[in-house]
Amino acid sequence: MPAESVIHDLGYRRYDGPRLGRGQIVRALAWHSFRAAFGFGRGAKAKIVPAIALIALCLPAVINAFAMAKGDARQFTYDTYVPALRVLIMTIFVAVQAPELVSRDLRSRVLPLYFARPIETIDYPLAKYVAFSGACLVMMEVPLLLLYGGAIANVHGGAAVWSQTRALIPGLLLGLMWALVLAAISLFLASLTGRRAFATGAVAIFLLLTWTLSMILLQAESAPIGARAGPGGASLGPASPLPGPSLAEKVSGLFSPFTLFDGVRQWLGGLNLGTNGGDQVPDPGAFGVVYAVVLLALLALCLAGLTARYRRARNS
Amino acid sequence: MTQSTGPGDAVAAVIEATALTKVYPGDVTALDGLTAAFAPGVTGLIGANGAGKSTLIKILLGLVTPTKGMAKVLGHDCVSDGERIRQVVGYMPEHDCLPPDVSATEFVTHMGRMTGLPATAARERAAESLRHVGLHEERYRQIGTYSTGMKQRVKLAQALVGDPRLLLLDEPTNGLDPAGRNAMLELIERIGTEFGISIVVASHLLGEIERICDHLVAIEGGRLLRADTIDSFTKASQLLVIEVEEGLAALREELTRRGLRPTAYQRSLLVPIGGDATYDTVRDSVADLGLPLSRMEQRRHRVEELFRDSDITGSDITGSDITGSDITGTGSTDADTTAEAADAR
Repeated sequence: MPAESVIHDLGYRRYDGPRLGRGQIVRALAWHSFRAAFGFGRGAKAKIVPAIALIALCLPAVINAFAMAKGDARQFTYDTYVPALRVLIMTIFVAVQAPELVSRDLRSRVLPLYFARPIETIDYPLAKYVAFSGACLVMMEVPLLLLYGGAIANVHGGAAVWSQTRALIPGLLLGLMWALVLAAISLFLASLTGRRAFATGAVAIFLLLTWTLSMILLQAESAPIGARAGPGGASLGPASPLPGPSLAEKVSGLFSPFTLFDGVRQWLGGLNLGTNGGDQVPDPGAFGVVYAVVLLALLALCLAGLTARYRRARNS
Repeated sequence: MTQSTGPGDAVAAVIEATALTKVYPGDVTALDGLTAAFAPGVTGLIGANGAGKSTLIKILLGLVTPTKGMAKVLGHDCVSDGERIRQVVGYMPEHDCLPPDVSATEFVTHMGRMTGLPATAARERAAESLRHVGLHEERYRQIGTYSTGMKQRVKLAQALVGDPRLLLLDEPTNGLDPAGRNAMLELIERIGTEFGISIVVASHLLGEIERICDHLVAIEGGRLLRADTIDSFTKASQLLVIEVEEGLAALREELTRRGLRPTAYQRSLLVPIGGDATYDTVRDSVADLGLPLSRMEQRRHRVEELFRDSDITGSDITGSDITGSDITGTGSTDADTTAEAADAR
């Protein structure tokens, strides 16, 4: 008990240096949180999951670079990359790291100290969202940039480099879409509880369960089409040799963020490679606008929920 | 009424609340037309739990919008200028608010950044604040390993890091043992007197903070009960609590024989203090009887007793300080029991 610990008698010095404004404080908080998303400023243990996740996501790009060096063609597309790996690893990343950003502060009840600082209540969730979107963006884009680096190191001529670059840009934009939506969903869910295990569980279960649900529905709905496309396909006449996905099948893709990403990607004109080539949902065609609307609604809902959560926290 | 805080008249008040009312959803009235002015220096904000202390602090920080009325902190309006206020006011909440898995240095530095200090200044001031509150080498350790007393110091350091002009401390001695409380109170007094920072200390234990305060503002049921200098509050008789592990009856006889008027209270004796001689008499009595003394300290008052004192010394409270006549005297018979219960916490 340091009851009688000595206070050095150096006197109190006033601070008369510059003071940062609200915007700069928010930036500092965002940077602090961005680093925390990768475990920086925390112990060694906190870095394990982000490091493994990033390595896992980059591995295919590295393999591709070696394959191309031996003369093979590029193995992965920039817009879908390795779909199942991305779903899995990004789910793990946001489920483990979103609680690191928000649940921790709830658990230790440090929020009142933030609210007592010269920022506004909305600044806290804003900084956290910007930071975590940035962290997710790093997870999404670094593998793509590695893929791109591996590709241009092995192609010759300006035209080839330009075609790689042109293919990369939509991939980067799609990565941004993933990052913005996944960060919003995971931060909102994680901000509901201060218990990290619960927060991680909630995020992981939400993402995986909805994805599984969509996948099951898609499979169930596509079975009759597959049958129709077989021997019965010929009877449909030359006007429609390959029947498009049914409405039920298109709707099935609306239930998970990951299938929404894929639907929007195809609607925006991404490659349709068939289910084996990386598509999670069949080409929604004009129905893709519904995918985009649902995705935007999901994003808006999560952000509104996140800000409401902190407005409530301030008043309690 | 705002000018009734005694010596604060001449100096601009650090906090002015005018007819401040806060009604939470569900018709819960936390503040009910509170008007009070806080002079510079150390002011005790006294009230039982639920009297409206925490709500008042939140309004002063601009975090809760009052239903009616207005408040000014250091000349800034709490509703429209909350950001300015929070730049120059340090806040120490009542509850735990520290992450266990970072060091005090990292935490206070980060909180300094959040107050608006540039990175280097935040580091320097964090080190300085932690030194001022008496944390040395241990400040590099994770906060989770700290004792309650050390945690309270970190909470104070994070409030101090931005060089505030005013500190709002909500129950700063919560959870501390008597030695820890004394150390914390000395620290607060030192910050108030030597650092020249105005302080509002919210507490439900008057006896605990009275010795470090220049002024007191007592609230109950969201209304001002009394605002005055410390002297006019505590001139009522003081009691000394004596606890011995055995021989209570013998001690009581001895004290009576020596001319004191001890009364038994649970397993202790209460003796009215009539000056330093009282302490000497008690000490001598205990020594002569060879009894194992386990506690001897000035009795802590509770707010209820304040009201009772007001009843007794009714003449001082007839001034404009009192908002109504219906607030005194209630529940004072239980004051002793509740005071002890609060002490035991």
